[in-house]
Amino acid sequence: MKKKKSFFARFYVVICLAFFYLPILVTMFFSFNSSKSLTRFTGFSLRWYNELLQNVEISKAVYVSLSIAVMATVISTVLGTITAIGLTRSRKIVKEILLNVNNMPILNPEIVTAIGLMLLFSSIGMRKGYVTMLLAHIAFCTPYVITSVYPKVRSLDPNLANAAMDLGATPFQALIKVIVPLIKEGIFAGALLAFTMSFDDFVISYFVSGNGVKNISIVVYNMTKRINPTINALSTIVIVVIIIVLVVVNLIPLLARKNTVNMNHRLHHVIGLAAAAVLIGVMIWLGAATNGKHVLKVYNAGEYMDLSLLEQFEEENDCQVVYETFESNEMMYTKLAAGETYDVLIPSDYMIERLIKEEYLQYIDWNLIPNKKNLMEDVQNKSYDPGNRYSCPYFWGTVGILYDKTVVDPEDLKDGWELLRNPKYKGNLYMYDSERDSFMIAMKALGYSMNSTNFDEIEEAYQWLIEQRDTMDPIYAGDDVIDNMISGNKAIAVVYSGDASYIISENENLDYLTPDQGTNLWYDAMVITRDCSETDLAHAFIDFMISEESALSNTEEVGYTPTVESAFEEMKEGDYAGVSSYIPDTENPNNEIFGYQEPKVKQHYAELWTKVKAQ
Amino acid sequence: MRKPKNGGVWMILPLYLFTIAFVAGPLIYVVALSFATANEGYGVTWSLTTANYTRILEPVYMKTFVQSFQLALTSTVLNCLIGYPFGYYMARLPDKQKKRAMIAIMLPFWVNSLIRLYGWIIILQKKGMLNHVLQSLHLIDKPLKILYSYPAVVIGMIYVLLPFMVLSVYSSAEKLDWSLIEAARDLGASGTKAFWTVTFRLTMPGLLSGIILTFIPSMGLFFIADILGGNKIVLVGSLIQEQMTRGSNWPFAAALAVILLVMTTLMIALYRKLTNAKKLEGMGWE
Repeated sequence: MKKKKSFFARFYVVICLAFFYLPILVTMFFSFNSSKSLTRFTGFSLRWYNELLQNVEISKAVYVSLSIAVMATVISTVLGTITAIGLTRSRKIVKEILLNVNNMPILNPEIVTAIGLMLLFSSIGMRKGYVTMLLAHIAFCTPYVITSVYPKVRSLDPNLANAAMDLGATPFQALIKVIVPLIKEGIFAGALLAFTMSFDDFVISYFVSGNGVKNISIVVYNMTKRINPTINALSTIVIVVIIIVLVVVNLIPLLARKNTVNMNHRLHHVIGLAAAAVLIGVMIWLGAATNGKHVLKVYNAGEYMDLSLLEQFEEENDCQVVYETFESNEMMYTKLAAGETYDVLIPSDYMIERLIKEEYLQYIDWNLIPNKKNLMEDVQNKSYDPGNRYSCPYFWGTVGILYDKTVVDPEDLKDGWELLRNPKYKGNLYMYDSERDSFMIAMKALGYSMNSTNFDEIEEAYQWLIEQRDTMDPIYAGDDVIDNMISGNKAIAVVYSGDASYIISENENLDYLTPDQGTNLWYDAMVITRDCSETDLAHAFIDFMISEESALSNTEEVGYTPTVESAFEEMKEGDYAGVSSYIPDTENPNNEIFGYQEPKVKQHYAELWTKVKAQ
Repeated sequence: MRKPKNGGVWMILPLYLFTIAFVAGPLIYVVALSFATANEGYGVTWSLTTANYTRILEPVYMKTFVQSFQLALTSTVLNCLIGYPFGYYMARLPDKQKKRAMIAIMLPFWVNSLIRLYGWIIILQKKGMLNHVLQSLHLIDKPLKILYSYPAVVIGMIYVLLPFMVLSVYSSAEKLDWSLIEAARDLGASGTKAFWTVTFRLTMPGLLSGIILTFIPSMGLFFIADILGGNKIVLVGSLIQEQMTRGSNWPFAAALAVILLVMTTLMIALYRKLTNAKKLEGMGWE
C-alpha cells in the first residue's frame, strides 16, 4: 500500500517536471533544425548556432544580462546582508516598517515595481539605459537577499559580536570573522536567488531600460513576433552552460573527498578563480564589440530593414549603428518624448507631421545626399512635409485586405471593407493592432474621410468596430500576422501592402485587395532628430539607404515598395511581377494620407481604441 | 547586562536609505502620480484629481478587471490543484531526492522565461507538436486552435507561476511533524480525515502564501497575454503597459497600478487574519 503511494508520488513529480522542461526541450530540439521551420525537423545542422554567433544584438544582450546579474547580485548581497544584520539590532518599530517595505517588491505584481522605478528615474531626469537597469535590478534583488539572510541572523546569539569585540575585534572584524561565517548559508541562498531573479527578469528591465540597452528577455520579446530559430540555439547554450556548472559544483565535494583538507581548500580556490576568469573573459569578449567608434542611433519599425545593410554601412563608415525597433509610431513618439535620444528615425507620414510641428526634427541638408536623384517623383513633396525639408522617403504603400482565394467567395469581395464584417468569415480574420488603421477602415466603410475630426462620425466608426468585434471575433495582431498568413492559419487579414507582397510571394493562395471605398496611402520616411549628435553620419546613412543597391536589397528582404525608381522597376518585373500589392494605387480618389491629429482628437481616438480592444 | 552596541547604526543608515529610496520611493511616486492629470500629448500636470480612478469604473475598464480576475482565478485554482500535491510530495521525498527536485524546479529559471514561453508557441501552434501528437493518437481530427486563445494564456500563467506555489507549499509541508498524522491515524481517523484535519490545516499557510504570490501578480503579466494570447486577452497589466508606452497617460497607468497594490495589501491582511501569522510561508521573517 505504502509503496504504491510513493510510486504514485514520484510519477506525479516526474509529470510535473516534464511540464516544466517540455518547452525547453522543444527549443533545444529545433535549434538543430536545418530549416527555419518550427513544425518539421528537416535535418540536423548547426546553422542557427553560426547565426547566433554573428548576431551582434544577441551577444550584446547576453553581455548585458550577465554583467547586470553579476553586479546586481554582488551589490545586493552585500547591501542586503548588512541591512539584515543591522535590522536585528534596530528598534522593533523600525524593524517592522522596514521589513514591510522590503516585502513589497516581492509580493507586488512586478509591473507595479517596474513602472514605479521607471517613473522615478524619469522624474529625476535620469537617462534610461545600463545604469538605470542596474539600479533597478539592485533595488528588486536586495529584498530577496534580506528575506534569506534575516532569519539566519535572528537565530544567532546577539552577544556573539559583543564577545568578539570584547576580545579586541573591531566591529568590522567581528562582522567578517564571526557573524558572516555563521550566516553563510543564508547569504549564499540570497545571492543565488538574486542572480536568478536578475538573470530571468523581463518586466522591470523592459520598463527601465532604453537607448539600445537590452537584456536577453527584451530581445526575445521583440523577436517572438516572428520565427527566429537563433533563440533556440541561445536557449540550448544556456542550458548546456548551466548543466556544466551544476556538474562542476557537484564534482567539487567528490573530488575533494579524495584529497586532504588542504587540497580541498586549494581546489575550491582554483575552481573559483577559474570560474571568475572565464566569466570575466566572456564579458570582455562580449564587451569588446562596442568601443571608440562613432555611434549612429537608428529607430525604425520592426522587421522593416535588411539588417545586412547596417553591417555594410558600419564597415564603409567605420562606425557603429545602434538599431532599435518600435511596434508603432505612437510608441516611438512616447520614447522620444520621454527623453530617449536617437539620430535617425523612420516614422510614418502623420507622425512626421507631428514631429515637425513639435520641433523634434532638423532640416535635411540635401547637398549631402547625392542619391536624391534616385527617388521617384510619386513619393516626393507630399502633404505631411511639403518640399521634403525634413524627410527622405523610405518605403510607401497602402493598407488592404489579404485574403485566401480558396476560401473567400469572389462575390463577397465587392463589399470592400464590409468583407471584414461578413459573418461567413467569423473567427477567420486578423485585424491590425493599430488605432489609426482600424478607424481608417471603419471610416472608409462608412464613407467618411479617415482624417475626420467630427465626433459623431468617429462615434459611428467606433460602433462599426464594436459590432465587428462582437460578430466577427477578430484577432488584433501585429507582425505575427505574417507567419500566420503564410502558414494559412486564417483566411483574411488587414495588412500593409509590403507585408502582403512578401506573404503572397510565400503563399500563392493569397491575394490583396484595396477596396474602392478608399484606403490609407502611406509614406514612411527617414528624418534626423533635432538632438542628433552625428549629423554627418546621419546624412551619410540616409544617402546610403537610397542608393540603388541598398534600396534593391532592402525591398527584396522586406517586400515593401521602394522609393527608388530603379529598384521599383526591377522588382516590378522580377520577384513581384503580378503581385498587386506591390504597386500602390495612386489613382483612386478615395485614397488619403493620414494627417496630423490635434491632441484632443487623438486622445479621443486612443480612448475609443482601447475600449474596442478591451470589450 | 550591557545593551548591544548601537555604534554601527550610522554606518548602516545609508543602506536603509537606499532601500527606502528605491523600494518605497517609487511606490509613493506611483500613488502621487495616480492623482495627477495627463497633459494632452505628453507629461503631467500636478493638480489633485480622482478622475483616473473614476475612469477605471467605466464599463470597459471594469470589464478588463473582471476578465483579468477570472483569468487569475482560473490559473490560481489550477496552480493550487497542481502545485499543492507537488509541493506536498516533494516534502515527503528522501533528503537526497528533495535536493534534486529543488534543483530541477530552479533550473528552468536560468533559462530565460521569455525563451521558455517561446517554447510554448512552438508546442501550441496550429501545426505544432501538441496537435501533431493528438492527431496521430486520433484523439482529434482537426488541429486545435490553442495558440492565441484563452487556454494558451492560462497554460503560460501556470507555467510561469507554478514554481512559486510549489515552493510555498513545500516549505510549510517540510516543517510538518509527520508523527501528528500517525497520531491521528492511531486515534482512529481515516487517511482522508487525517489529511484534512491535520495535514491540510497545517500546510494551509503555505497554500495561502502560494496564492498570494500567484494571484494578483498574474494580473500583471502582460507579456504572457501578448505572446500566447495574441492581444486577444487584455489584462490589467496589458492596460498599464499600453498606457505607459503608447497611450502615454501615465497617471491612469499609475491609478491602475495602485489598484493592484491595494488588492495585494488586502490579500496579505486577509492572510494574516486567517493564519494568525505575520510572516508569509517560505519567506523568512517573523
